[in-house]
Amino acid sequence: MTQDARVQDFVASFEVLRAEVEKVIVGHREIINHVLIGMFAGGHVLLEGVPGLGKTLLIKTLAEGLELSFSRIQFTPDLMPADIIGTNIIVEDADGRKHFQFQQGPIFAHILLADEINRATPKTQSALLEGMQESAVTVGGVSRPLPGPFFVLATQNPIEMEGTYPLPEAQLDRFLFKLRVRYPALEELNAIIDRTTQAHPVTVDRVMSGARVMAFRELIREVPIAAHVRDLASTVIMATHPAWEHAPEVARRFIRYGASPRGAQALVLGSKVRALAEGRFNVSVDDLRALAAPALRHRIILNFEGEAEGIDIDVLIGQIVESAEAATVQGKEPFLR
Amino acid sequence: MAHPETLDRLVRRVAAQVRRRRIEHYALRGAFWASLVAVLALLFKQPLGGWALIVAVAALAVGTLGGALWGAVRRTPTADAARLADRAWQLEDRVATALEWAERPDRTPIVDALVADTVARVEQLEARMAARRVIPSDGRLLPIPLALALALALAPALPLPSGRLPDFSASGSEDPIEPRADATLMEDRAKPLAKDKLKSPAFEERDFATRAGGSGGAMAGDLSAIFKDTNLSSQRPDFQSFLKKGDDRLKLLEQADRLPDLQSDFTASQYKMVYRKSKSLTSGLRPDQISPQKLKELLEEMERLGRKGGANWQGDAAEGMEAMEGGQTDRAMEAMQRALDKMRAQDEASRSGKNLKGGRESNRSGIGRDRRGGDGGGPEDQDFGEGEGLLPGKGRSGSPKGEATGRLRASPYDVGVEGESRRGRKEGYDTNLTGKGGQMGSRLQYLGVIGQYRKMMEDAIARESVPRDFHSQIKDYFQALDER
Repeated sequence: MTQDARVQDFVASFEVLRAEVEKVIVGHREIINHVLIGMFAGGHVLLEGVPGLGKTLLIKTLAEGLELSFSRIQFTPDLMPADIIGTNIIVEDADGRKHFQFQQGPIFAHILLADEINRATPKTQSALLEGMQESAVTVGGVSRPLPGPFFVLATQNPIEMEGTYPLPEAQLDRFLFKLRVRYPALEELNAIIDRTTQAHPVTVDRVMSGARVMAFRELIREVPIAAHVRDLASTVIMATHPAWEHAPEVARRFIRYGASPRGAQALVLGSKVRALAEGRFNVSVDDLRALAAPALRHRIILNFEGEAEGIDIDVLIGQIVESAEAATVQGKEPFLR
Repeated sequence: MAHPETLDRLVRRVAAQVRRRRIEHYALRGAFWASLVAVLALLFKQPLGGWALIVAVAALAVGTLGGALWGAVRRTPTADAARLADRAWQLEDRVATALEWAERPDRTPIVDALVADTVARVEQLEARMAARRVIPSDGRLLPIPLALALALALAPALPLPSGRLPDFSASGSEDPIEPRADATLMEDRAKPLAKDKLKSPAFEERDFATRAGGSGGAMAGDLSAIFKDTNLSSQRPDFQSFLKKGDDRLKLLEQADRLPDLQSDFTASQYKMVYRKSKSLTSGLRPDQISPQKLKELLEEMERLGRKGGANWQGDAAEGMEAMEGGQTDRAMEAMQRALDKMRAQDEASRSGKNLKGGRESNRSGIGRDRRGGDGGGPEDQDFGEGEGLLPGKGRSGSPKGEATGRLRASPYDVGVEGESRRGRKEGYDTNLTGKGGQMGSRLQYLGVIGQYRKMMEDAIARESVPRDFHSQIKDYFQALDER
């Protein structure tokens, strides 16, 4: 298969999978796109939104559209790490001899839905850390690989803060994207009512296997990125650091800690998927602009002034990207230099 | 792999367009500055004559051509031209990426598809200018000096100032110089004038008090009038209110008798020094634990002081020394105590003009200034509370100057924190003062308020919507205060 054909195959598969999800999920096209981009980039996605917006349904539908195993963990304050990872239990064999046997936890699935992840204690939340970063878990000194592709989709509610444990920065950084699920528009709400209250429920077809997902992940890493686009991505990340000498004024004023290098990786990798999904063979500046907010919004910590002023992190990121573009050659007329 | 010749052609075409735009841009800038030179030359048309026009035209031509040449010789990097092409034809960085990756040894297979795709798109492009025209800001102002230069060229030559001083020789004849009088006459005329000028300021100063309350316009030489003319008038409505409200220094001058008597400072008293030594010797120890050597040294010093000043405690000190030599420590201690009492009485008697009573604090019941009732510490502590001193009008209620105010360190737990601005950069949440205030010691009773403030802080954190990340930071701050 030629490269062109591989790319066209990816574009078609991406479209088909999205169409299957959109059979159930009304609206949220951008959210669906970003979830799919996160999955093909090999990252994990955190969805944040008030209850009832279809976060869990979106993930379940995506799992139904893929020929992959799926498990769901409802995070609660009394959930223990062993409830996620699994534990050694004593079993008796045919000869009557007892020995320990590892009982796999729900993390051993291709797609893991961590529902309301911020309701569990940090100890339990951190049980996901190794799995998310290394695609393996260690129990009793033995490292056990997780099945590939391994994709964690977590949800959290931004308004019910009572009895929750906000995710630590180290764990937030493990998520490729943080997506904000917003309330649907009026037309979308009407469509939701029509679709969910009819007699015949919508069925979702399985359209993609795990092997194909893995193959697409390899293809995505081949997408070239020009030096000036890569420079822009690096400049955006650096510009989120208030201590950087060329940081824009908004960053100096409102940001306490900037994005990590993982943020740059997420930005570029996500941009590659987006480019390929649009049938393009290269990363463009537009890709960076489109994915800057989901890739960086959970990696930037506002300072007191930023919190007090009620600064919208997405607006702030937009301003940082603009200033980074102006600072790099991208924003200047070449003949004036 | 498709050879990106098409892409090279596109880039060369865009680079040529950039060069053209640069020529325009810099020619305009050169023309503007040259036109200023032309205006200058035409202003000097009178002295330059026909050369002025030639110089103006030549400057315009050189400036414009020089700018154009400067624009023409500047190189356009290929990457810049490729990016410009991408933006001009919405190619989403395809040209720049393809050109960059086509030559790279680590190119991936998908780069071939990228180059092929880009070439296909470029071949379908319609030819148009990719580089937009950018008129420089000084180029926009070009019509002004050009019009001015044209007007100057058409107008007759402007007369220029000669640069010489005006000639007043004709007017000098209207005021003929009188023949010079003799020296004596001039001296006679000058003396009264000088006298008047010297006299008036001294007279005004003496006169000031009587005029101060008066109304009406300012008279010549009035101090209040002088005051109105100074910048002090902006700080006070008028000079009288300045005197009435005055600053603290004026008030201090009125209360000269309340100023501290520095000569009777704590450390200046011999008795105090000996007392301090005796206190440090006996504090916290039973008589049998006192070092005989130290006690002997102290008694020797007391005797020496008594011998020098002919004081009445000399006998007691000598008796103490004898007792020490006889190994009677208790007797020596009693003798030292008596000597100390006599020293105290003599010391306080020396302050008799200040209405201070002699004797021990315990003997002055009812008039003592110590409101703590003597429940803490011994009589020694009451007498010489640190920081309280024996300044006139300050320590004894019998003083006509009134009761002493609650002083810092009146309580053993109340330690005054001497505020000090730390060095280095001040962070936003740092409460250290900068400037003049930072050099002054804090007089706040620190331990009295820190607990209260900490509780207020905890209430505020619980009640207000303080960002969660700042809770620990605020608490750490108060913890740091507690540790100082």
